Amino acid sequence: MLRVLLFLWVAIGVNPFPASADHSPKIEIVGSTTVLPIASRAAERFEKFQRVEKFKPSHRLRILVNAGGSGVGIHSVAKGRSDLGMASRKISPSERKRFEGSHLKVHTVGVDAVACVISSEIYDAGIRDLTRQEIRDIYLGKIRNWKEVGGPDRKIVVVDKERHRGTRHVFMDFIFGNPIAKTPGTILVTGSNNEEQTKIAQSDSAIGMLSYAWVSDEVRAIGIRDKKNIVNPTREAIRKGDYPIVRNLSFITAGEPSGEVKAFLEYLKSPEGQQVVEESGYIPFT
Amino acid sequence: MNSATFEKGMVFFLSILTVLVSSLLLIILAAVFARGLPALHSGFLIEASEDFGRAGGIFYQLVGTLILMTGAVLVSLPVALGSVIYQTQYLKSETGKEICRQVAQMLNATPTILFGLVGYLFFGVYLEAGVSWVTGSLILAVMILPTLQVSIREAIEALPDQYQDTGMALGLSPWSQIKTIIIPQCYYGIITGVFLGLARAAGETAAIMFAATTFSGIRFPESFSDPVPTLQTHMLVLTQEAANPETLAQAWGAGLVLLSLVLFLTVMAWILRSRLKMEAEL
Amino acid sequence: MMWIFAGLNLIFLCCAGGLFFFLIFESYPILKLQGIDFWLGQDWWVGETYGALPMLYGSTLVTALACLLVLPLALAVAIFTSEFLTSTSRRFVKAVLELLAGVPGIVYGLLGVSFLSLWIKDVFGLLDGNTLATASCLLAIMILPTVLTLSEDAMRAVPAEYRDNALGLGLSKWQTATAVVLPQALPGIMGAILLGIGRAMGETIAVMLVVGSLDRIPNPWFNIFSSAQTIPSKLGREAAESIGEGTHWSALMALGLTLFIMVLLINFIGNRFLKRRSIS
Repeated sequence: MLRVLLFLWVAIGVNPFPASADHSPKIEIVGSTTVLPIASRAAERFEKFQRVEKFKPSHRLRILVNAGGSGVGIHSVAKGRSDLGMASRKISPSERKRFEGSHLKVHTVGVDAVACVISSEIYDAGIRDLTRQEIRDIYLGKIRNWKEVGGPDRKIVVVDKERHRGTRHVFMDFIFGNPIAKTPGTILVTGSNNEEQTKIAQSDSAIGMLSYAWVSDEVRAIGIRDKKNIVNPTREAIRKGDYPIVRNLSFITAGEPSGEVKAFLEYLKSPEGQQVVEESGYIPFT
Repeated sequence: MNSATFEKGMVFFLSILTVLVSSLLLIILAAVFARGLPALHSGFLIEASEDFGRAGGIFYQLVGTLILMTGAVLVSLPVALGSVIYQTQYLKSETGKEICRQVAQMLNATPTILFGLVGYLFFGVYLEAGVSWVTGSLILAVMILPTLQVSIREAIEALPDQYQDTGMALGLSPWSQIKTIIIPQCYYGIITGVFLGLARAAGETAAIMFAATTFSGIRFPESFSDPVPTLQTHMLVLTQEAANPETLAQAWGAGLVLLSLVLFLTVMAWILRSRLKMEAEL
Repeated sequence: MMWIFAGLNLIFLCCAGGLFFFLIFESYPILKLQGIDFWLGQDWWVGETYGALPMLYGSTLVTALACLLVLPLALAVAIFTSEFLTSTSRRFVKAVLELLAGVPGIVYGLLGVSFLSLWIKDVFGLLDGNTLATASCLLAIMILPTVLTLSEDAMRAVPAEYRDNALGLGLSKWQTATAVVLPQALPGIMGAILLGIGRAMGETIAVMLVVGSLDRIPNPWFNIFSSAQTIPSKLGREAAESIGEGTHWSALMALGLTLFIMVLLINFIGNRFLKRRSIS
């Protein structure tokens, strides 16, 4: 028995971590939860295509998609831990500096808007829009109760996101003019779009920031008011450029893409790929 | 109220608390069952997951968890066995034994996220195993080392002294003693340890979430450098979407499977421990 | 053959040593940069400054509260199980506890997100259920089995003579249990609590999902119904961002090192107490 165990152990140990030659190729995609549905859907479609066309298993491309946030995506691809990073924001100056040696390249596939969202109960109570200043004061902690902006008498649950998240960068850039603004009014911090959506839906007086594709019955988007003008995050407003908080959805590579990665990116930019972008709720990049 | 009544009252109160605490397990099981059962459609255990985990089954996640667990035990067992044998049979100095004991306690108490982070740094980056099931198994192996050691040590220390005295009287070398007396007699400790180690590795999330897993894209790992989907990390992602009832149901279903696995392994460890112990004592 | 076993033992020792060494090595950059301000600073802004105080505070408070919740319950059930139950019933309770101790952290996390946080929000009329208190409750349930089992062991370890003598003197079972056995078992129970604390401090997944992840000391400091952050939760949420190298990573490793040392110290003292229980 001991001999069997010893043999097994040696067998595993002696053959440590070879870069195996005989397995099917794979590309690893990590990053923004906003871009993730695009990558996942494209991956699924591609897998189906390979199965239908009866690619040999050893030749089938496997596409691994994982969340983590824009910051994680950028970092991951810069360090070579993944083949593609997903980002829903621009690469920040400090990131460009940190990863100078990686020669990051941005490949945009779609456009998205960040909506300021509130719990459906507050929306139903009448709040349909806020000014930039009001949102700023809420996140600074100066406005604490919904009644101060014309809503019900309820304390505001200010939901923020982790600092590296793409959605936060873009939202804060608009509200504060600073993508990494500090928000003393925060009550709760969330991570992915899913988590933010969940926490706002679970609360009945929350405010947060969310990709407009994630808006739902429980989590409603409000318009941005500027004097008399109210702009709601609708497809038209985004396409026309009226809605102020928009961002590119991109895939990032370290250096020029080649091989399977290049093929995948080209697929995403093709009409079929752009259709995937639309199906995910975003606007194709054209 | 005289003191006798007071005491009876207190004892009664305590008994209620005990019943409550004991039913805690039942409550947890009931909650997981009640929420998880609806998700367990007939194909749950053998289908792949679909639609970001909102539908389908958890087959590959289950496989991933099993792979990590088994790999962990395979790597950990020789080291656990060897180190305990050394400490009980060869090591004579009390200080040495004390150091080993402290180290084992230290390993056991370490927060598992640290295993994950440092383990990834060492196995994944330094030894270039990357984010893979191999890295995960190695990390888990280090983590469950104390668990295995405890069971093996218990079995060896339960061995009556006569065995070793007889062995020495017969002129057997320490190695022969180990081979012919100790291991055969302490077999049950090894098996028990293995099952408890499997149970512990199965439930662990923080240690592997950075080092071994992927949410999508991999079915069966095809090489040593592939990450795997696991029940634990699948649940972690789904839990963050708790407002969506379908996703939540899937998370509960996966939770039910995971919990059942862990409980099953623990109970198996008990059964094997008592049965084999009886056989060894015959 | 001895050398093979000695070698395997060495591997085992090196695992622990290696862990410690890596943590220290990786923490060095940030500690050199910020020194003691790392632990005293209240602001954690990636790229600017790294202050661990909110995390330290959160970890301490959450654990202390969990302890407070567990202690009376553990004592009560330990007394009852050890002194008033038959050995069969006792084995049953122990079995249940062992099963409970094995429940995976992610299952507790799921229970916390779907039940506990909503329940606490309703019961206390809070804005949001992701608070220190929620994390403490969850941790209390998680460490209860461990603390209970060890406390019960401590009570059982008190020699039979004590009980016999007390009963012989005419003390009732209850008096024997509380006035004679319990004091003798106190060191062991202390050890059990400390070990429970050690485990609570290290729990990542369950806490990460319900504590709110807000890097701020609550205002006022004792407001357990505010969101906060613990060390493992911070690590769990931020490690992926900068894994491997850089100042941010070094700061996270320093957090890990701090946690490691705290847990080790608590465990060391706890085990010392546990050992004392067998000596009168």
